[in-house]
Amino acid sequence: MNPVLSAEGLTLGYGAEPVVRDLDLNVAEGEFTVIVGPNGCGKSTLLKALGRINRPVSGRVLLRGADIRAQRAKAVARRLAMLPQSPIAPEGITVRGLAARGRFPHHTLLRQWSPADDEAIDRALELTGLSDLADSQVGSLSGGQRQRAWVAMVLAQDTDVLLLDEPTTYLDIAHQYDLLELFADLHRRGRTIVAVLHDLAQAARFATRLVLMHRGEVVADGLPEEVITAHRVEEVFGLPCDVVPDPRTRTPLVIPHERT
Amino acid sequence: MNRTLVEPALGAPAPTRRDPVVRLGRTVALPVHPRSVLWCLLLLLVVLGVAVATLSLGRLGIPLPRIPVVVSGGGEGTEAFVFERLRGPRLAVALGTGAALGLSGALFQSVTRNPLGSPDVIGLGAGAGAGAACAALLMPGIVPAPVGALLGATLAMVVVASVTGTGLRHPGRLIVAGIGVAAMAQAFTHFVVSVMARDQASVLSAYINGSLGARDWGHAAIIWGAVLLSVPLLMFLAGPIAVNEMGDELSDALGASAGRTRTLAIGLSVVLSAAAVAVAGPIAFVALTAPQIARRLSRAPGPNLVLSAITGALVLAAADLAVQRSPIGDGLPVGLFTMALGGVYLGCLLIREWRKGVL
Repeated sequence: MNPVLSAEGLTLGYGAEPVVRDLDLNVAEGEFTVIVGPNGCGKSTLLKALGRINRPVSGRVLLRGADIRAQRAKAVARRLAMLPQSPIAPEGITVRGLAARGRFPHHTLLRQWSPADDEAIDRALELTGLSDLADSQVGSLSGGQRQRAWVAMVLAQDTDVLLLDEPTTYLDIAHQYDLLELFADLHRRGRTIVAVLHDLAQAARFATRLVLMHRGEVVADGLPEEVITAHRVEEVFGLPCDVVPDPRTRTPLVIPHERT
Repeated sequence: MNRTLVEPALGAPAPTRRDPVVRLGRTVALPVHPRSVLWCLLLLLVVLGVAVATLSLGRLGIPLPRIPVVVSGGGEGTEAFVFERLRGPRLAVALGTGAALGLSGALFQSVTRNPLGSPDVIGLGAGAGAGAACAALLMPGIVPAPVGALLGATLAMVVVASVTGTGLRHPGRLIVAGIGVAAMAQAFTHFVVSVMARDQASVLSAYINGSLGARDWGHAAIIWGAVLLSVPLLMFLAGPIAVNEMGDELSDALGASAGRTRTLAIGLSVVLSAAAVAVAGPIAFVALTAPQIARRLSRAPGPNLVLSAITGALVLAAADLAVQRSPIGDGLPVGLFTMALGGVYLGCLLIREWRKGVL
């Protein structure tokens, strides 16, 4: 099967020390890929390159076989959406207004509205459970609702590939799982998702495929139970641990050893 | 391309309240914010009122019923002279300069994501003042003062952009560098004035404070030319600027290159602001306040370009009317007046933000 999104010999970063070195990655249609790894391993940098934000030093990113740098930015943005780590909500914007910003790639100079806009926006609000808050100010929302509003924005973009850079950061645990269930739901509805997450247990529970990065390279790639082993967690994160199956989902759960 | 995902579990989504869309045939479809349109129309009416008052009040005023005739070129004698030589060009320059400053500030504040990121804050006005001083006093007759003002503004911008080390990318560095450049430019202006021409200082004060006295139609043509020429680029930039407010990464991800948007917007802001300085001197605080007033009126996110332009035109025309009719007299540069008003506004703004706990 042809990959939806792939990286070929990707080297990223500035100067002599690249952050990501000669990396290959293929993302198949319908996967929920989660990239994990220690701080500074290059996972966010990789995601930004996949989302056409970072320009590679060498190598290329292919979206359905075509180099994303060889296409117009808006054309790529109609098929690939990315939610970065800390987007800024413009002052005074409503939830619907924010979602509507996601329609930008579908607009032209004279056509800044298209009939597909309203349906895409309304659907994005419905999927994120924000229909009733459509006219609320984004600034007045709780943290969890606000992050949902951002998700609504990238959903309104109406792409089948979704890149998410640490989408659960700064949320409490209930809102983290709430959001992850939303992504799992979107994945079931057919979206291809690539997310960077910090929490290994969450990554293992929700990913259909886990990519473990260390020092700019992929060190393990596969099903969560294949990737998360006690040996590897100690090697990559420097954390001695046991890995046990999650009592509910049987996915791997990391239990760190107490320091003696 | 652009395929809607099949989501069988959901029917048509629940509709939410939408903005109306203005359509022209099949090619043009622009969503509009009703509150913004309403305020635009309302402010245009007030602008008209200020314009009529400017032409008709005072000793040489054109009588109200004669204004349509005189404006359409049918005036005679004194009233024609008042319109064509005295008040007409002055009003046209005030409106054009106000609009240019409003647009310039709206662009700058939007792409720097900073309400204080304004051409007058980053040293453009001071640079223009220095350029004018230099042209008028060091090279009299060689470089016209308006050209000197333009060169000074451009030089100030180039220095600001280069000393940051990162071009125009970092709003914070831009503003800090601007404060430094503004201080140096002002020091230079004062030095030139005090050494070279104590007796010419009153003429030059117009280029330091900004004045609309003794303008002609040539000035009006310069500023209106700049405003009208900027319209196509503004139309192109409006969308990317609005997206850019959400951060560089998201802007890039949505297909609006953040770097290109910022460079174009700041470039256009500098040109508009320099054109304003070239015809009226560095008029303080209009570029800073007009976009903020516009934003408060419309309560719409985004740069509010049209409303900022109208607000700027209104603020400056009204300030100039007040200056012309004030008991202190005609000689007072309007820039001093806007500076005083702007200072009060800035004070209120700071207190408000402080009470809200933002500062």
